[in-house]
Amino acid sequence: MTQDIWSFCLSRLESELPPQQFNTWIKALTADCGSSSAEASLRLLAPNRFVLQWVRERYLRRIGELGEEFFGAPMQLELAIPATGATAAKANAAVASAKVVQVPVEPLGTVIVHTPAQAVSQGGASDVTYEKTRLNADFTFDTLVTGRANDLARAAAMQVAQNPGTSYNPLFIYGGVGLGKTHLVQAIGNAVYRHNPRAVIRYVHVEDYYADVVRAYQQKSFDAFKRYYRSLDMLIIDDIQFFNNKNRTQEEFFHAFNALTEAKKQIIITCDTYPKDIQGLEDRLISRFDWGLTVQIEPPELEMRVAILKKKAEVLSVDLTDDVAFLIAKNLRSNVRELEGALNKVVAFARFHGRSISLEVAKDALKDLLNAHNRQLTIEHIQKTVADYYKIKIADMHSKKRTRVIARPRQVAMWLAKDLTPMSLPAIGEAFGGRDHTTVLHACRTIADLRLADHQLNHDVHVLTQVLRG
Amino acid sequence: MMEQLVLDIHLDAPPDFSNFVIGENGALIEALNLAVQGEGHIYLWGEAASGRSHLLHAAVALSQSAGRPACYLESEAIGDSLPDTSALLIALDDVHRLPAAAQIALFNAFNRARALNQTLLLTGDRAPRELDLREDARTRIGQCLVFEVKPLDDASRAAILAMLAERRGLRLADEVIAFILRHGRRDLPSLASLIDALDHASLERKRPITLPLLRTLMQTGLAL
Repeated sequence: MTQDIWSFCLSRLESELPPQQFNTWIKALTADCGSSSAEASLRLLAPNRFVLQWVRERYLRRIGELGEEFFGAPMQLELAIPATGATAAKANAAVASAKVVQVPVEPLGTVIVHTPAQAVSQGGASDVTYEKTRLNADFTFDTLVTGRANDLARAAAMQVAQNPGTSYNPLFIYGGVGLGKTHLVQAIGNAVYRHNPRAVIRYVHVEDYYADVVRAYQQKSFDAFKRYYRSLDMLIIDDIQFFNNKNRTQEEFFHAFNALTEAKKQIIITCDTYPKDIQGLEDRLISRFDWGLTVQIEPPELEMRVAILKKKAEVLSVDLTDDVAFLIAKNLRSNVRELEGALNKVVAFARFHGRSISLEVAKDALKDLLNAHNRQLTIEHIQKTVADYYKIKIADMHSKKRTRVIARPRQVAMWLAKDLTPMSLPAIGEAFGGRDHTTVLHACRTIADLRLADHQLNHDVHVLTQVLRG
Repeated sequence: MMEQLVLDIHLDAPPDFSNFVIGENGALIEALNLAVQGEGHIYLWGEAASGRSHLLHAAVALSQSAGRPACYLESEAIGDSLPDTSALLIALDDVHRLPAAAQIALFNAFNRARALNQTLLLTGDRAPRELDLREDARTRIGQCLVFEVKPLDDASRAAILAMLAERRGLRLADEVIAFILRHGRRDLPSLASLIDALDHASLERKRPITLPLLRTLMQTGLAL
């Protein structure tokens, strides 16, 4: 029955719509014949959220009308995204529909239209939440992989989620690019919201906050702006380093900050560096960031990267063997974001070629990303990068000077050379002005020890590693 | 002999998928089709003249004909913001040339894409890792589905030559195509301008394009 009604709709829509619209939106849908037994009903599966919304807004009414014409009575019409294997639907329609039949699918963002006139949107609920809080529902503590790199930050975040406003205020989370800061802070917001849906939570990126300030200027609506930000129970503000020299925005934030902390409302801040290092930020703000707790997220080590890949594969419902996960994790080291990009690439590649994900397939797929990857880091490049970072001369890398401001960067560079290149210690010593290999050994031990005690240095080393690994 | 004067009329088909010679880029074309359906952001990279801009234009055309708003933008021309139209497909060419302010614009576009239901199609001349951009923007590019636009082999180039010629009503013998590919520059813009020159010469002289004509033309200064 389902196939009959859907074939009927397809043939009618094909004649009514421009071919490209038909091909792009209507043919992307599959009729779920496994589900309903009810008469006069049709359940359609869209490959993703975008197609679902697009079809819902533009074609659903018409499909409902066609159903009514076919059955001679109003038809129950449902549009959903399959919970698993969603993306498989388009790569190979035949395989996808077979899969849909076998696997009982759970609706993600379902839309049920009993008759075309009374559209009931269940998927609307998460849209409303998003509209209110700007939180991405996918970012939760459950989907966050924990390891040594983010253990402390996660523990602090859980604390804040349990006792917002009273445990650590503000919570300041910093770390390099693409390590999951946004995920972590949104997880706090989502946890609090789930516990108390009446809590007024707002996630805002600094650039959007800045845009709000500009808009308040243009519309002379500073009162409303202030009232809004001071009415929040929780303010999550992302990438505070973008405040750089935006003075009026900083001033507004300063007042909002004071009002919120006084009222024991939670503030959560992320940044790409340690508070004292933020460029162009007023001192009075920086000192306030010290009131609460400052925690760092570090780049994940190999095992954690493998665990992250496994988790993401689970979400995509694909099988990822250890050797493939290991291959990807070994090649993409510096951030989680590109790790995810690489996994998506492997999955898409396997799907397009109709193969399962093997080591061989992964190697082929990653060529597009890794082609230029495995360039060998040269010691000159390391020296230059470190010298630039500490604003000293490259010549100082080779010089005999032993003042702290020069010697320390030189030791950092030696440590990086040992960590990032396959060169021998004597060769490294040679490259640093003909020093003995024991000097290099001493430098490496010094840096390794200092990193545990001096978190400024630790941060520098992380940033440099990230830059050098690209 | 009087030469025929030629009207300065060009006909050029707008770039779309039907006039892109796919070669080894099948998966990429498929992914672009899915991107129009909102499947995810895509980053294409490849050497100059590999067809990146052509593909972007093609995706924009496809999107528009499917009813989804789409725009093509040059990296050097976007200033400090990208359009915030809902459901827009933004094709941004040559991100390796993004000026500093525009890099923040791209960063913001990535952050807002989910809320605005936008899809980003980006191109550049190198792999994401090699891009000399802000780290926060660069890693977001690395999170896209990444494809290298594979350069064409000679068989594909021959097919393109034949197609370009046919569009102008010219028929090139196989030996002529082989000759051009042996002696000339083989990137696409060069091939396209060569066809233009041949078309012009053939009209002027009222002769079909043959190997002898090609040789004569070269002697009179046509650069292959």
